[in-house]
Amino acid sequence: MTAGERQQSPEFLTTAGIDVGSAAIKVAIVQGDGNGDETMLAGVTQRLRRRDPLPVTEDALEEALEKAGVRRDELDYIATTGEGEIVTFRTGHFYGMTTHARGGLFLDPEIRAIVDIGALHARAVLIDDRAKVLGYRMTSQCASGSGQFLENISRYLGVTIAEIGPLSKDADEPEKCSSICAVLAETDVINMVSRGISIPNILKGIHLSMAGRYFRLLTSTKAEGAVMVTGGLAMDIGLVAALREIVEEQGANLDVRTHPDSVLAGAIGAALWGGFRARKLKKAGLSFSSGSDS
Amino acid sequence: MEERMSTSASCLEGHAALVAEAEALWKDYSLTSVREWKKESGGIAIGYMPVYVPRELLWAQNALPVGILGGGDDLEIIRGDAYYQSYICHIPRSTIELGLNGSLDCLDGVLFPATCDVIRNLSGMWKMQFPDKLVRYLDVPQDFDPAMGGAFYRHELQEITESLPGIGGRSYDEDALRTAIQVYNESRQAVADLYDLRRREPWKIPTHELYVLLRAGMVLPPEEHTTMLRAYETAVSDDESRRPMDQARVLITGSFCEQPPLGLIKTLERAGCYIVDDDFVQVHRWIVGDIPVDGDPLGNLVTAYLENSIESPIRYIDDGVKGQGLVERVEHYGAEGVLFCAPSFCDPALLDQPMAVKAVEDAGIPWTAFKYSENSGQFQVIREQAGTFADSIKLWSGE
Repeated sequence: MTAGERQQSPEFLTTAGIDVGSAAIKVAIVQGDGNGDETMLAGVTQRLRRRDPLPVTEDALEEALEKAGVRRDELDYIATTGEGEIVTFRTGHFYGMTTHARGGLFLDPEIRAIVDIGALHARAVLIDDRAKVLGYRMTSQCASGSGQFLENISRYLGVTIAEIGPLSKDADEPEKCSSICAVLAETDVINMVSRGISIPNILKGIHLSMAGRYFRLLTSTKAEGAVMVTGGLAMDIGLVAALREIVEEQGANLDVRTHPDSVLAGAIGAALWGGFRARKLKKAGLSFSSGSDS
Repeated sequence: MEERMSTSASCLEGHAALVAEAEALWKDYSLTSVREWKKESGGIAIGYMPVYVPRELLWAQNALPVGILGGGDDLEIIRGDAYYQSYICHIPRSTIELGLNGSLDCLDGVLFPATCDVIRNLSGMWKMQFPDKLVRYLDVPQDFDPAMGGAFYRHELQEITESLPGIGGRSYDEDALRTAIQVYNESRQAVADLYDLRRREPWKIPTHELYVLLRAGMVLPPEEHTTMLRAYETAVSDDESRRPMDQARVLITGSFCEQPPLGLIKTLERAGCYIVDDDFVQVHRWIVGDIPVDGDPLGNLVTAYLENSIESPIRYIDDGVKGQGLVERVEHYGAEGVLFCAPSFCDPALLDQPMAVKAVEDAGIPWTAFKYSENSGQFQVIREQAGTFADSIKLWSGE
């Protein structure tokens, strides 16, 4: 069935998911029939770069709708996640764990856990085959396990965020740094630079330190088998490689996976849960249309 | 009130102006509006602690009932901590702070109802700190036989009526009490109508607004407060921009004495919950329905307490039926889950919670529990908990 045919079919609902993160806005437009036939029509990521998140959200949604060839009034549900409570035109809001779980499962139906690594925190979530959250563990408020920390380090080292992963993979002698405190870790990095440690070795050391925290989160949830890395740092190939290294070193029964759309997992999950709710509400004779204001 | 409202209305309109006005009244801990009322009316002001006092009795004798619900998250506690151990709830320490810093000096007396041992203890401290003021511990019956508990409660109320003329209040008069009962019947009805509207259309009345309006009723004369509530009801009913969202309908219980910070209520709403019933500022809803104005008005107050007061942890209820009222409220308000939201160290709320939990569990109602203090400032953990609870209701309820 083509996208156009789906659009016409009453079985298929078209929904938008908006993941308002602290560093970027992610939007996904999804169509599904509620019985497993689900397609992502478009996905968009826009970095905030210190801008007001509301207009960026509007802009990202419009861009995604255009890509998907869907009009806003054709959406059956606009679901938000992350800091999406600020989005006044939403139909409903879902919490981050719930949406990343659903989005992760959509991207890879074999996974039974996710590690969501965002700009400000990371969390490991244990799920079942319906994306129901069975348990979770989060990093504490310390910033050293987060993307924001990595972004700060990249500035000290004079590299772009996109360069971090490939550079880290070139490391031959990673230099370990503090995994406890972002402030101490930053001091470590400055010392490493003055000691002449190469940038790849510094980055790999940081990746290993962060990955060690995620590994502990995963094991404390008792995760086993396929695990999907989601969130903004899922695209950091150096970090994913470091997590795989630690898993192998520890001999854990974990298969760390990622996906080209991992960064959109929250938005995809929100859109899919939006479809689920739209059906449920329809069945109950209720309809909560999304607002048109911003 | 009209003057105050017109000032606010110059920059805000409709319900926003009313809410801003109510919040300004609530946050004025030095009770400017009470001082002004005393000056204008020549009446006296009597403070009262949570949960319930018969305000009609005070109003009938030209005494403005002034609710004292602690200092919330606005007040720095400097002296109050010296009076209470760290394992005692927060409301007595902020209340004594307000007393000692002079904020409550316009009150001619304070009633301390039988809410818990801490409030009883506070009444003793008040007597020692403010020997020139009327300080009365209002004991309430836990035996609901009219011949036993009723007679006892009537005696308690009579003592209050007799104590007011000595500090500037009017003498007890049956007709004045009948009028006051009618005034508070209208007040209760206005509150009940807002709760009913929120039950039907919770998106029209965000609880963080309703709560602020209820708090204004702690300092306003009852007729003015009723006018404010009715004006708000009209304004939100007419506001078509308030549209429904897909949120979980929850009932909050446990917050009847020490009040949650406004930030906590907002956090719960932002986390995806429509609060469709609660027990905030419960003096407004303690008596269900109207109190008759005919006949013996004092007797009517007594009967209302014995027969028409709500189920509460501070009121004796047999173990076998404890929680039944909560389950009935869940059904009546169409709640999909219960948030047990009690202040830390609140004995009445927390000791009752296991029985209430059992009742909701037996009825198959989802629930979650957390604690707060009136001066809590960080809600991230509660946000996560309430958010995942709302998600679980929306996605997995009925399984």
